[in-house]
Amino acid sequence: MGNAAHRSHVLIVEDDAKLASALVSGIEAEGYAASLATSAEEGFFLLHSGRPDLMILDVTLPQRSGIDLLRQLRKERVDVRVLMLTSHNTIEDRVEGLRTGADDYLGKPFSFPELLARIEALLRRTLPQENSHEVRVADLCLNTKYRTGTRAGSTLELSQREFDLLLYLAENAGRIVSREMLARDVWKETSRFTPLDNVIDVQIARLRKKIDDSHSVKLLQTVRGLGFALREPQA
Amino acid sequence: MNWLLAKQIRGRLTAWYVGVLAAILATYLVVVFLFQYRIVASQIYHDEVQDVETVEGLLYFESNGKLQLQQNYFSRPQSHLLIDRLMEVRDLSGAVLYRTPNLGGVSLGGSTMPGEGDSSFNQRIVRMPDGSHVSLISHLHTLQGHVLLIRLGYSLVPFHQRMKQFLGILLLAFPVALILAGIAGYQIAKRAFVPLEEMARKAKQITASNLHDRLRIADANDELGHMGQAFNELLDRLEQAFQQLNSFTADAAHELRTPLAAIRAVGEVSLQQPATSERGKEAVVSMLEEASRLDETISGLLLLARAERAGAVGPNRFSLVDVVHEVAEVLEVLAEERRIRLVTSVRDEEHNAVVTGDRSLIRSAIMNVVHNAIKFSPVDSTVQITYSVSDTASRTIEVVVQDQGPGIPLAEVDAVFGRFYTGSSKNGHESQSTGLGLSIAKLVVERSGGEIRFDRHTQTGARCVIRLPAHHLRETS
Repeated sequence: MGNAAHRSHVLIVEDDAKLASALVSGIEAEGYAASLATSAEEGFFLLHSGRPDLMILDVTLPQRSGIDLLRQLRKERVDVRVLMLTSHNTIEDRVEGLRTGADDYLGKPFSFPELLARIEALLRRTLPQENSHEVRVADLCLNTKYRTGTRAGSTLELSQREFDLLLYLAENAGRIVSREMLARDVWKETSRFTPLDNVIDVQIARLRKKIDDSHSVKLLQTVRGLGFALREPQA
Repeated sequence: MNWLLAKQIRGRLTAWYVGVLAAILATYLVVVFLFQYRIVASQIYHDEVQDVETVEGLLYFESNGKLQLQQNYFSRPQSHLLIDRLMEVRDLSGAVLYRTPNLGGVSLGGSTMPGEGDSSFNQRIVRMPDGSHVSLISHLHTLQGHVLLIRLGYSLVPFHQRMKQFLGILLLAFPVALILAGIAGYQIAKRAFVPLEEMARKAKQITASNLHDRLRIADANDELGHMGQAFNELLDRLEQAFQQLNSFTADAAHELRTPLAAIRAVGEVSLQQPATSERGKEAVVSMLEEASRLDETISGLLLLARAERAGAVGPNRFSLVDVVHEVAEVLEVLAEERRIRLVTSVRDEEHNAVVTGDRSLIRSAIMNVVHNAIKFSPVDSTVQITYSVSDTASRTIEVVVQDQGPGIPLAEVDAVFGRFYTGSSKNGHESQSTGLGLSIAKLVVERSGGEIRFDRHTQTGARCVIRLPAHHLRETS
């Protein structure tokens, strides 16, 4: 989340007006400062005048493409992290984007929680990972070495998949995780055309039964329309 | 068919060639024969005239007044063509004064005609009593005060025999020449058509999957080269049109993604804003669900476009049995939830057949089929997935997915693979489906060189049979 002393500045370069305004309001709601450019030229200007920390760059822009702009920035060694948005989400497109110098890549239509997660990950300074095998969320504790979990001291009976799912939710604790993120990161499914959404829902329901049923504080929440979150209920 | 057509053209060309040659040869033959006849006939006349002049010098009257011929006449060189030289000498009253012995006492040319032999050498053809013809020359000659009518004739029998022989040789050569010409013509036509047949063979091999192939043109400047070029240009246009058609689905799907991204972002952002009312949130969630279905359909279309581009030999080589286990493992939780037993049985695993293709596409295909089976299965039933290498010789891998659901009406067994097909029975499942799952499965399996169908003869439930070629049998370790 945005630091009070220094609010991270996100520059959005997107020509689709509706998408752009939704991104601005959504990102500002998360506590970042956001500015908007609707063309590559304008983006280039704002980049030099505003010095943003992160740029969300659409590939298909009028006149000059996002890839073209990115190429120029990397040539000029401008220090900005770049998250590319594109409707052409094949592996070849990703490779081209990443080779040109994008730091991350998101295919349209993306889920907003995922965009936030990516922004946060890109802005986070890369700290050395804590040398610990434990991930904790409230009284839930997961041991990544032995792949076991406990809630309030009592052991949870988890299948392999359930453990992977819970671990992913715990690593993203406090944030909303979309079904796409789960499909890709937990089930390693690259195609969106799969009957996996049903599978995810069933798996979440079973997991909820195991970790929350005997406890008054429910940690695993379904956020309608957005996805799931592992967190203590907000007041 | 093409081959047959070429053969017909080749045959027709040869027939025309032989026909024209026969007409030319026949005309030539008649002309040659007539020419030869005229030459020999005039040669005979010439010889006869010479003979008459010789005879004039050799005739003499004996002291008793009998006309005689010096005997050395017969040893004179004779015409090459004729040996039967006949002669008769008369006086003006018509009395025969001399007759060569080979006439056997028969008159040569009958009674004297008025004015016969008056001027130079009269020639005529007379018929002998035995039916043979004789070329006869009459000439008046004065010897020792007597006027003599000399008649000298050559029998035409040997001449006619020669001419018949000559005609026979000509006629014998005629069919031989035609047969040789026919064979040669056919061979030439055949050789001329070899590049055409090569083109036809190549053209037959060009299908939608190798539309970039072109005919090989040996010489661009000849007629076949022109045809080949025209055909290749046609292929260029076809390929271009085909590619446009192919990329249309993908382009359209990509175009739909930006507005869809806007719908999602607007909806999801508003859901996260506390100001939005509960009722408003409900509306947004329902819109987002629809957007999600739309996204799934678009992904399906893109997958179809990708499967259409995929070749029979894909980028990966993998074990299909692993994919089957993987699919079963992912979907098992769904089956369990509905109290359906998902049973995987593997036969002949020791062969460990390997499939070549796009792994994620084939995985998606099998997943859709198994998911379909689970979706239509009643509670407490079994979905059986059987994997087998049906025949090591034919190298076919068979995956059969059998459920105990309501089955598919016979009339719809093929229709279920159509795009956007969502079934005629109304049991509530279809409304969730995009109707693309099975059509993607079919396209993927067929592009991978296999086949997929629902068994028409199954008694209960639906039985989907997927067959894929095993490109390689992995070494058993």
